[in-house]
Amino acid sequence: MKQIALYGKGGIGKSTTAANLSAALAEMGMDVLQIGCDPKRDSTRMLMHGSWIPTVLDQVREGREASITPDQIVFRGFRGVRCVEAGGPEPGVGCAGRGIIATFQLLERLDSLKGDVILYDVLGDVVCGGFAMPMREGYAQEVYLVTSGELMSLYAANNICRAIARLAGRVRGRCRLAGVIGNGAGQAREEPLVRAFADRIHSRLVTFIPRDPIVQRAEINRMTVIEFAPDSAQAGVYRSLAKSILENRNLVIPTPLSMDDLESLAMEFIPA
Amino acid sequence: MTLNPLPWSSFRLEGCTLTGGLSVTTEVTDGVTIIHGPAGCSQHNASLIHATLLDHDTPHLLRIHSSDLDEVGVIFGGEGALAACIREAAAGDPSAIFVLSTCVVQTIGDDVGGVCRRDWGVPVISIPSSGFLGGGFQDGMRNALIALGDLAGDRVEREGGITLVGEKNLEDDVEENFREVSRLLALLGEKVRLRFVRGIRGADIPEISRGRLNILREPELRAVGESFAARFGTPYLDSFPVGLSGSLRFIGETAGFLGVDPAGALEEERAFQDEALAGFEDLRGERISIGPSSGDTADPFAIELVSSLGLLLSEDGVPLPLPSPPPVGTGGLVRLLHRWRRVLHA
Repeated sequence: MKQIALYGKGGIGKSTTAANLSAALAEMGMDVLQIGCDPKRDSTRMLMHGSWIPTVLDQVREGREASITPDQIVFRGFRGVRCVEAGGPEPGVGCAGRGIIATFQLLERLDSLKGDVILYDVLGDVVCGGFAMPMREGYAQEVYLVTSGELMSLYAANNICRAIARLAGRVRGRCRLAGVIGNGAGQAREEPLVRAFADRIHSRLVTFIPRDPIVQRAEINRMTVIEFAPDSAQAGVYRSLAKSILENRNLVIPTPLSMDDLESLAMEFIPA
Repeated sequence: MTLNPLPWSSFRLEGCTLTGGLSVTTEVTDGVTIIHGPAGCSQHNASLIHATLLDHDTPHLLRIHSSDLDEVGVIFGGEGALAACIREAAAGDPSAIFVLSTCVVQTIGDDVGGVCRRDWGVPVISIPSSGFLGGGFQDGMRNALIALGDLAGDRVEREGGITLVGEKNLEDDVEENFREVSRLLALLGEKVRLRFVRGIRGADIPEISRGRLNILREPELRAVGESFAARFGTPYLDSFPVGLSGSLRFIGETAGFLGVDPAGALEEERAFQDEALAGFEDLRGERISIGPSSGDTADPFAIELVSSLGLLLSEDGVPLPLPSPPPVGTGGLVRLLHRWRRVLHA
């Protein structure tokens, strides 16, 4: 069983990448479980043809934790991908990080953390220990950073490297950085910049996904690109990413950059 | 975010702010205290206070409720659980409800003050606490005393008398100390008007604005003294009396605040001290050693007492105990000397 997690700045395209990756893996005959770890609960929506599935924490909130069954929180989407959304509190109250921990504990209790590939799609940044949960206790052993060439996106990716480095150093720490996924924002010299960033943190660029209007069209039609435009070049990119991830054995403890080094790197590629 | 430094020392009474806050609020006999957090925080603190009171042979039922915050409350916010608990407590028609909050409530960011400010038909006072995140015992006690002052309103009607502020309700000698301070005040013709807060009712709290002088239990409560001075215009003395000369100084300073001549009271107290010390003449010349009760050196009150009695300080002398906090007034010293005698003549 391969357990991977996608981390990156909010709005950078993690959920789009995750859903298309799951769809491509399912096409390859894999039993895939995708878990959205974000109170926004929209990670699996395109796999579910636009429907908002009930979240794990919805069930917990209603006090049904004791009697909950897998079919109340695990839903079949495109090509049988099993979809789970952790959910979370309303903005401004409670502790979403604790919610992620509770979700994992519940999924484990229900024996639902299984499959050929488990893909964790985690909220923007590792803002607290709760959102580092997929990286702890042997859940996601392979972490992928999703980033564009924008400085703030690289900054977030670099911060996540800090979390990986810290957690990997623990006695039971098994999480490693598996690579960087570039998600193009249409910026000049973007791919070389993301590749250079990956090199500097002692990892590698797994795939660079170019910006393509087909992604937006697929989402308007409430589908993944794999389903909406299976013969498109973009679908090919996602399939290539899926293949790379399945074959990837290059797992490292990254070396995060200092803020000055990160800015210097960006200066090399982004015109002042 | 609170970034309170941890207490420099964790000896004796240094629990968290909950314990300190409870030591005050549970002394409002017709009030109710809610601990907003997991039930275990209430159980632990209530049991700690109950055990202490039992040890002093003064157990009484503590009116404490818990909002019983669980995993769901932590994830989705605990304000609903707090509101339900306040509603339940208010149904019992208490004079006031005091709300203390725990570490986890601070961590998840519940707006405790906002919930308390709703119209509950009974005063609901939020006491800045936040378990250990809010500091230690002393912080909780101080914050509770200041917060309870909110129940006094803004109207000040000066009527006279002395208010004792912040008695240590969990110490062994709390009643003996009260009697000793009352005795010294009586030498000046003054009485204690209010014990803030010990064994009072909610309706007594407005009395805090009516006394002529507040006497704090210890200097660590100066922030409380300052708060009440600013709010009610009441001056304060920052400590109960400690030591022989400290007791005389207490009389002089109290008289100064009240604008009375202390000469007669001082003369009486000096005579009382002479007579008390004379009762321990059998200890004169004993070789003793005394350890520090706090800090790096023995308290000055102890050095003064040793000198007055003609005891001989020596490193190889009989080690004698020093209480912490130090004994209050001349009466407290007499009790200490009885303990010393038992050790020396054992």
